[in-house]
Amino acid sequence: MPWIGRKDPEAFEVFYDRHGGVAYSLAYRILGERGAAEDCIQEAFISIWRSGGKFDAARGSVRSWTLSIVRNRAIDVLRSKAGKAPKMTFDDDEIIESRPADELTDEEAMRNETATEVRGALSQLPDEQSKVIQLAYFGGFSQSEIAGMLNVPLGTVKGRMRLGLEKIRGELAEGLA
Amino acid sequence: MNANDHDNRLEEVAAYAVGGLDRDQVADLENHLAGCKRCQEELRWLSPAVQALPEAVERQAPPPELKQRLMAEVRADAAADERRARTEEHRERAESRPAIGEWLRGLNIGGLTWKPLTGLAVAILVIAGGIGYAVGNGGGSGGAHTTEVPVAANGIGAKVVTEDDRGELHLTGVEQLPKGRILEAWVERDGIVEPVPALFAPDQAGRASTTIEDMKDVSAVMVTREPAGGSKKPTTEPFVVVPVET
Repeated sequence: MPWIGRKDPEAFEVFYDRHGGVAYSLAYRILGERGAAEDCIQEAFISIWRSGGKFDAARGSVRSWTLSIVRNRAIDVLRSKAGKAPKMTFDDDEIIESRPADELTDEEAMRNETATEVRGALSQLPDEQSKVIQLAYFGGFSQSEIAGMLNVPLGTVKGRMRLGLEKIRGELAEGLA
Repeated sequence: MNANDHDNRLEEVAAYAVGGLDRDQVADLENHLAGCKRCQEELRWLSPAVQALPEAVERQAPPPELKQRLMAEVRADAAADERRARTEEHRERAESRPAIGEWLRGLNIGGLTWKPLTGLAVAILVIAGGIGYAVGNGGGSGGAHTTEVPVAANGIGAKVVTEDDRGELHLTGVEQLPKGRILEAWVERDGIVEPVPALFAPDQAGRASTTIEDMKDVSAVMVTREPAGGSKKPTTEPFVVVPVET
């Protein structure tokens, strides 16, 4: 992202237009409140703007880097609110792509395809595997905390988490094949 | 490490990838990852699955005000950076510009060093370090560039108006000259002081002007009082020095 070094506001605006929507959706999914999600996005994107080019292309795409920053910030906010339970809805009815297909670029269309595959994979996962993945990723809970919440042995949580992720990865691999 | 132990590690890798590894185990796993190709491969394999999770989230349209607030902060940040850079640039330029006394002593005037003349009560209008003089484009005069020195303690004000490579020097508050004396302007170009051919004298109101035909690469304009007919080299210290922005 050479614009980070250049500190070019116009380029940053394009960057926000491309990734701000999914970033906001992720923050809202984790925090469950619009105001908190907006604050989270504002802080995360400003930290990216001021980061001066810390992005390492070898470790993933700009989008996944951005979303990991948003996710970490949102989880920090969640943890700072003691006793707040994560929003735990992730069913097919809720996962809707709202924009019409003819407005989407090829890149977005590919992401939609990936999203569809992930949703498909998640819907096919046994509920207990899906739940531990969601609690970890969207709730920021550790395996030990999840074991306590679900009242199951730690080893069981570990196994479910790995199996669930392997299945999602397998579905993605098939989709790409 | 036996196979069962390594299966445990692979489970930790999955938890690490999805952000669910217990915090006190993260450092230990990262140490292991650094030396274990199999676990590195597992992490690389699982990463796309984790990266795809946020893509599957129900889309929420961010409010337009969020973008407005964000961009306002970004633009304010960029403007502040620009201001800081400009200030720094000015500071560096000011620091690199020698003190005017040293600068005058260092001038090469036709191969001679400018030596202060003792016993002469000369008031030197000196503006150093970029402070105290204004530079701007003359109103409505196309590419005109003005360097103006406000009236100093000796009551003299100076203005150099440059357009293309031609310049005009305007002085105000100049005392009448004694008989047999004239004003002569000098330009400093590439460290060498050269005389301006057009000699001049103040009018009754103390205004004096002369034309400088070639302002190219001139970094300062100076004025001295010289014997009638002018001098090839200054014989007195300048009572006006106007640094010119190049």
